[in-house]
Amino acid sequence: MQENHWEISSKTSYWGWNLKELWSYRHLVASLIRREFLLNYQQTVLGPVWILIQPIMTLITYVVVFGKVVGIPTGSIPPLLFYFSGIVLWNLFNDSFSGTAFTFKENAHIFSKVYFPRLVMPISVVSTHFLRFLMQLFLLVLVMVYYWLFRDMPLPVTPLLLTLPAIIVVIGAIGLALGLFCSVVTAKYRDLVNFISLGVRLFMFITPVIYPMGAVPEKVRWLVEINPLTPLFELFRYALLGEGTVTVPGLLYSVSFAAISLLAATLVFNKQGDKLIDIV
Amino acid sequence: MANTIIEVENLSKLYKLGTIGTGSLRQDLQRWWNSSVLKKHDPFFDLQDDAPANDRQFLWALRDVNFGVDQGDALGIIGSNGSGKSTLLKIISRIVRPTQGYVRGRGKISSLLEVGTGFHQELTGRENIYISGYILGMSKPEIKSKFDEIVAFSGIEKFIDTPVKRYSSGMYVRLAFAVAAHLEPDILIVDEVLAVGDAEFQKKCLGKMREVSHGHGRTILFVSHSMQAVNNLCNKALWLDKGRLQEIGDVTAVVNKYISKVQKNMLKQEWDTPATAPGNDLIRFSKLELIPHLDHPGAPLDIRTPITVKFQFWNLAEDQELSVGLHLFSYGGECIFDVPSPSIQCQKGLVEGECLIPGNLLNDGSYYISLIIVKDTSLDLFYFEECLSFELEDFRGDIKWFGKWMGSVRPKLPFRIEQTLPELV
Repeated sequence: MQENHWEISSKTSYWGWNLKELWSYRHLVASLIRREFLLNYQQTVLGPVWILIQPIMTLITYVVVFGKVVGIPTGSIPPLLFYFSGIVLWNLFNDSFSGTAFTFKENAHIFSKVYFPRLVMPISVVSTHFLRFLMQLFLLVLVMVYYWLFRDMPLPVTPLLLTLPAIIVVIGAIGLALGLFCSVVTAKYRDLVNFISLGVRLFMFITPVIYPMGAVPEKVRWLVEINPLTPLFELFRYALLGEGTVTVPGLLYSVSFAAISLLAATLVFNKQGDKLIDIV
Repeated sequence: MANTIIEVENLSKLYKLGTIGTGSLRQDLQRWWNSSVLKKHDPFFDLQDDAPANDRQFLWALRDVNFGVDQGDALGIIGSNGSGKSTLLKIISRIVRPTQGYVRGRGKISSLLEVGTGFHQELTGRENIYISGYILGMSKPEIKSKFDEIVAFSGIEKFIDTPVKRYSSGMYVRLAFAVAAHLEPDILIVDEVLAVGDAEFQKKCLGKMREVSHGHGRTILFVSHSMQAVNNLCNKALWLDKGRLQEIGDVTAVVNKYISKVQKNMLKQEWDTPATAPGNDLIRFSKLELIPHLDHPGAPLDIRTPITVKFQFWNLAEDQELSVGLHLFSYGGECIFDVPSPSIQCQKGLVEGECLIPGNLLNDGSYYISLIIVKDTSLDLFYFEECLSFELEDFRGDIKWFGKWMGSVRPKLPFRIEQTLPELV
């Protein structure tokens, strides 16, 4: 018999989790991801194609509304590619955030019946969205190849492409970190749910999703600049499409924001997690 | 101690009643403003330190519970509703935190507080076995190696690739329990899951659990309202009453004490003078008593217990021919029997008598007795309704079936069964 001793007491600690335990639940994470895909596309006509249809529909709307009607300049990047890159990246953030922001509320039933590291749930959600993002990214690359073949757009094969995985991870981390914070808050105060969905929608407008950094008027620029997502979006476009406003301090700001907030959020999540079961 | 696998020390759990967490964000902010910024006195925190047990806002679901469980024990946890059984299991399962105290232990715990935790309606039986297994803490090779066994145990081989939403509820429960039954933790925590499923399946589950505890030296904590099941499965029992540990020890002793405490028996009524006694001008009752013939005093009444009904009344009229009828009713009001006494000639004064209800006659349940006094075997003098009541606990010995036994009576009748041909020719 294993001689692993344990103790349960009233104290909850920030460090009350260990990677070893989390690792032993990796198969649960894998099967939750699998479940998510199965659930979403079982008994549907188009199946997993929906992962691509949603951004395409958004893309069409943006191209028509912001490109044709409002006429936001997109520099030398074709509007289609500009909006698409923004949408794909925004979806990653938005899904990672919204998917985890209600962890306790949505899993109250199962959390109150069985113990497993609570972090398993947000991790599996973020992983699911990450896989979805990869599919959408693949579509984006296909569109780029089309532009390269038929519109003579140069393909930016530069060392900067190597930053893409890092950008994706940092954006996912920020989404997860904010989501974990919110999951603790929404478990206690239900009425904040409405604020959060409104907030994330407003947040999109201070992120360079539908406009380039260069097009922001000087007066409100600070608003976009304090957003840690901004440098990442700009770098993403710069690496992929060759145009964007990138500064090293900006990137450092984003990365440290992501690291600190993810660490803090995980600690708060663990500290509060055990107590919240009594409340949700 | 090397043999102790779980040690519970001063365990308490306090729940706030009403709006949990004191209410809304506004109230919380207000409290924070008052206590942290204005440094005002905050009544809320005062209460948390030593909340009085009778305060309406707070409830001690558990209070200063201390006990230890040895390795290989099957501990039955009994108590009425709201006595803290489930809270105790939830704390040991690491689902909720105690307010005070510690639980220390060693080894892997799996808890089964619900049948089908982690099951999803849309997924197939196969998918659900995996997800539910992982959630309950099984590893991938463990599930793989036991997959066929699980499916065979549940008996739903044909439907394993059908979404569970198309299962009958019985199939669903069987599959869910099959997964849980194949857990191999050092400590298994089970909460009243036997309340579901048909009798045959219940038998299978209990058999499996017995095998787990006796055969493999695992420790089981088992909550149930079925004293039969607790008696049959466990070797020790723990009785919780309003969050406090009432008794822990050998299962039969604790269960018997518990049952005799909760049985609502009206075993005796007595009146000193005819003036206050029930009756009329002709007769008045003076004493009624049920005397159970128990092996040990303090043991609960069960279906084997013979009971003597004693009665005594004042005959207030000269020279009457009287007889007494004993009517036994089930709790539902159905008359089980109506037994008359012989008729005797009585003078003014006390009359007394008794009637023996033999053991092994009635089924388990609650009963009440009404007595009627009849003159000249035809004229009702006085009908004393519901004057005595008693409850009979179930007793089945070695029968491994825990469903409700049918029928109003359960007499031991001469029954013969034998094999006539030793072999099929």
